[in-house]
Amino acid sequence: MFAKPLVYFAYLLKTSAYYQQGKQFFYNLLENPQSKIKSYFDVFMICLVMLSVFFLVYSVEHELNNTGEFFEQCVVSVFISEYLLRAWLYSDSHLIIIKEYERAEYLNTPFSVLKTLKKVFGKKLEYMLSLFAIIDLLAILPSYRPLRILRILLIFRLFKLFRYSNSIKVFADVLSSKRFELITLAIFMGFLVFISTIAIYLFENNSSGGNVRHLYDAFYWSIVTISTVGYGDITPVTFGGRLVTVALILTGLGVLSFFTSIIVSAFNEKMYTLRENRTYAELSRFDNFIIICGFGRVGQEIAKNFEKDQQPFIVIDTDENNILLAKEKNYLYIQDDASKNSVLTNAGINSGASSVICATGNDVANVYITLTSRFLNPEVNIIARSNRDDNVKKLYQAGANNVIQPFEISGLLAAEYVGQPVAFEAILGILQEQKQILMEALIVYPNSLIENKRIEEIDFKNRKLTLVGVISSNKLHSKRRNRYKVKNQHFYFNPENHFELQAQDMIIILGRKYSIEHFQDQLEKSRLSSGNKS
Amino acid sequence: MKKIAVFGYNNLSYEAISRLDQKSHDVLIIETDLSLRKSAEEKGFKTKDIDFRSDCGLKSIGIGHTIDVIFCFLLEDSSNVFLTLSARAIDKNIDIIAIAGSAQSAEKLIAAGANKIIDPYQICGQKIHELIKKPDITNIIDHTVFGRDDLHIAEVAIPTGSYLENTYSSTLSLNERHNLVLIGIVDKELGDNLHFAIGEKDHKLDAGDIIVVLGPSREINAFKQEVTNV
Repeated sequence: MFAKPLVYFAYLLKTSAYYQQGKQFFYNLLENPQSKIKSYFDVFMICLVMLSVFFLVYSVEHELNNTGEFFEQCVVSVFISEYLLRAWLYSDSHLIIIKEYERAEYLNTPFSVLKTLKKVFGKKLEYMLSLFAIIDLLAILPSYRPLRILRILLIFRLFKLFRYSNSIKVFADVLSSKRFELITLAIFMGFLVFISTIAIYLFENNSSGGNVRHLYDAFYWSIVTISTVGYGDITPVTFGGRLVTVALILTGLGVLSFFTSIIVSAFNEKMYTLRENRTYAELSRFDNFIIICGFGRVGQEIAKNFEKDQQPFIVIDTDENNILLAKEKNYLYIQDDASKNSVLTNAGINSGASSVICATGNDVANVYITLTSRFLNPEVNIIARSNRDDNVKKLYQAGANNVIQPFEISGLLAAEYVGQPVAFEAILGILQEQKQILMEALIVYPNSLIENKRIEEIDFKNRKLTLVGVISSNKLHSKRRNRYKVKNQHFYFNPENHFELQAQDMIIILGRKYSIEHFQDQLEKSRLSSGNKS
Repeated sequence: MKKIAVFGYNNLSYEAISRLDQKSHDVLIIETDLSLRKSAEEKGFKTKDIDFRSDCGLKSIGIGHTIDVIFCFLLEDSSNVFLTLSARAIDKNIDIIAIAGSAQSAEKLIAAGANKIIDPYQICGQKIHELIKKPDITNIIDHTVFGRDDLHIAEVAIPTGSYLENTYSSTLSLNERHNLVLIGIVDKELGDNLHFAIGEKDHKLDAGDIIVVLGPSREINAFKQEVTNV
C-alpha cells in the first residue's frame, strides 16, 4: 500500500534538481572541507557556542531577562536545525529505497517497505550514535525544560567546538591514534591505583594509627601521590605506608613520563598532517593559483618570479633539502610525490589551480606528472620542462600545453651571443624586462579608442611605443601579408598602415613600462566611457 | 672565420653549435669521453681529447693564438671556473661564454674572467614564468627569437660610406621600406649600450653604429646588403 508512493517519492527526489542543489548547498555549508561557506559557518558557530556558554555562566548568579531567553531559544533552534541537517546529509535515504526496490524487481521478490525503512533508519541511527552527534544532542537536551536537571550538560556545547576547529580535531585525532597505548597505560594506572589504595588503607587506617579514614581517602591519596602533586593533607605515618608511598611515587614518575612520551610522539607523527592542513587552508583562500612540481633550480626561479608578482602558488617536492628551502622562504609546500593523484588533488588541481608546472629535473617524472594532471583536470594549463629533445613530443602527447627546454634556449642564446652580441642583448633585455622595457600584448576591446582604427591613425610613435604586430583570429585579416600561425590564431608581423584593428585583436607593442601602462589606461577609459554613453 | 672551442659535448653544446652558422664559424669540441666524442664526430663535428686542467693542452688547441671564443659547457661549475681562469690567463682578449648551475657560480665565473654567463635553469624558470604571465608574448618570442618561423632578430653594423651614415633613426622607416621593425640602436657616440627604439631619442647614425631589427630573414639579408653596399 505504501510501497508505490514511497518508491515514486524516492525517484522524484533522485531526479529533482532543486533537491540535489539544496542538498549540495547544505553539504557545502556543513561538511565540505573545501567549501568557503563552511569556514564562515564554522566561525559563526564558534561565536554562537561561546556566547551561549557566556550566558550560561552569567545565569549562575543572575536571572536571564527576556532577551537572554530569546537568545537561548535561537541558539537551540540553530543547534536543532544543524543536528537534523547533519542527520539528513549523513545518508541518501531515497537511494537506499531505490536500491532495495530495484533489487527486489531484479530478483522478482516482493519489495518490503518495512525492511527498507529499517535500513533507512538504521543508517540514521548510525549517525545518531556517532560521537559528534551525541555531543550535539547533549548540547541541545538541557534546554528542554523538563530536563533542566541536565543543565550541567550544557558544557557539552564547548565540545561542539571540536566540530568547527581543525586544530582541535587534529588534537582529538592525535589522542585517538594512540588509543592502544593510552588504554594500556590507563589499565596499568588503574591497577596501580587499585593496589596502592588497598595497601595504604591497610597500613594507614585509623585503627592502625594512620590518617586514612576510609577507602575513598585511600583512593584520593593514591591519585594525588601517583600524579606527583602530593597536597600533604594525608601523609603516611607507618613504615609500611611510607614504603607504599615511595613505591607509588617512583612508579608515578614512570607513568607520567610514559604518558608524556606517548603524547609527544603522537604529535610528532601528526605534525606533518597539521602543517598540511595549514597549507590546504591557505590554498582554499585562492581561486587562481599555480602548482609548481619540483623545487630545484628551475622551480626556485619560477617561485621567485611569482613571489615578485604576488601570484599565489604551491610547491610540491619529495626532496628534503628543497622543501627546507621552500620552508625558509615561507612558501606553501607539500612534501610528497607530485605524480600521485591524491597529492595533486589535495594541492587543488580541481579546486582553484589554473596551471601546473612540471619543473623537475627528471623527464620521466615530468611526463608522469603531466599525464596525471591532464587525467585529473582536462582544462588545466600544463607547462612542462624537458631536458632532452626526444622527450618533447612525449610531453605534448601526455597533455602538456607548452614544453620548455632549458638547454635549447641556453644553446640558442650562446650561439646568438657569438654571432650577434647586440641582438643577444636585445633578446635578453626583452626576455628579462631589463631597463623596464617590455613587450606587451594589449587587447582591442570593443568600443575602445583603437577599435576599427587603421594603424596609421594610432600614433604609436608619439606614445613612445613600437608596434611589432597584431595577433588575431579575425577572418577579415586573412588576406594580409606577413601572416604567421601561432597556436589557433595568426600573428601579423609589421602590419601595413591601412590594417584596421578589430575587436578582440591583440596588438604587440614594445615600450617602457610607463608608456604601455599609460596607453592601457587610455584604452580602458575609452572603453568604459563609451560603454556608459551607450 | 671565428674559431670556437667548445668544452664538453652535451645537450646544451649541441644546441649552441647547431644554431651557429657553420660557414662563418670553425668549431672544435673538446671532450674526454670517447662515446660522446664519437657521437659528435658522427654529427660531423671536429673533436679533440685534451685535459682542460693543463695549460699546455689548452695552448695546443690554439687558445692564445687562433681561438676567438670558448664555450665552457662542462658539467661541473668548478671545472668551468677553472677552465675560465686558465683561458683568461693565457689570452686576455678571448671571449669566454660559460654556463652556471647556480647564482653563486655565476659570480665566481665572472670573477674568473668570463664575458657572458648563461644560467640554463634561470632562463628556463623565467621562460615558464613568462608563459604564465604573458602567454601571447612568449609565443611570439618563440616564433621570432627562437626561430620557429622565418622571423629573426638580427644586428646590422653600419660600415663607413654606407647610405645610412649621417642620417637619423627617425627617418629610417624600416617598417615601410623594408618590412622590418627597428628594435634598437647602439649609438657609438653614446657608448656600447643598446638603446631600444621606442621613440625616446632620435639617434644620428654614424659608421660603426649597430642597428637591431626584427623581421623575415629575406628582408634582413636585403637590408644588410643595402646598408653594406658602399
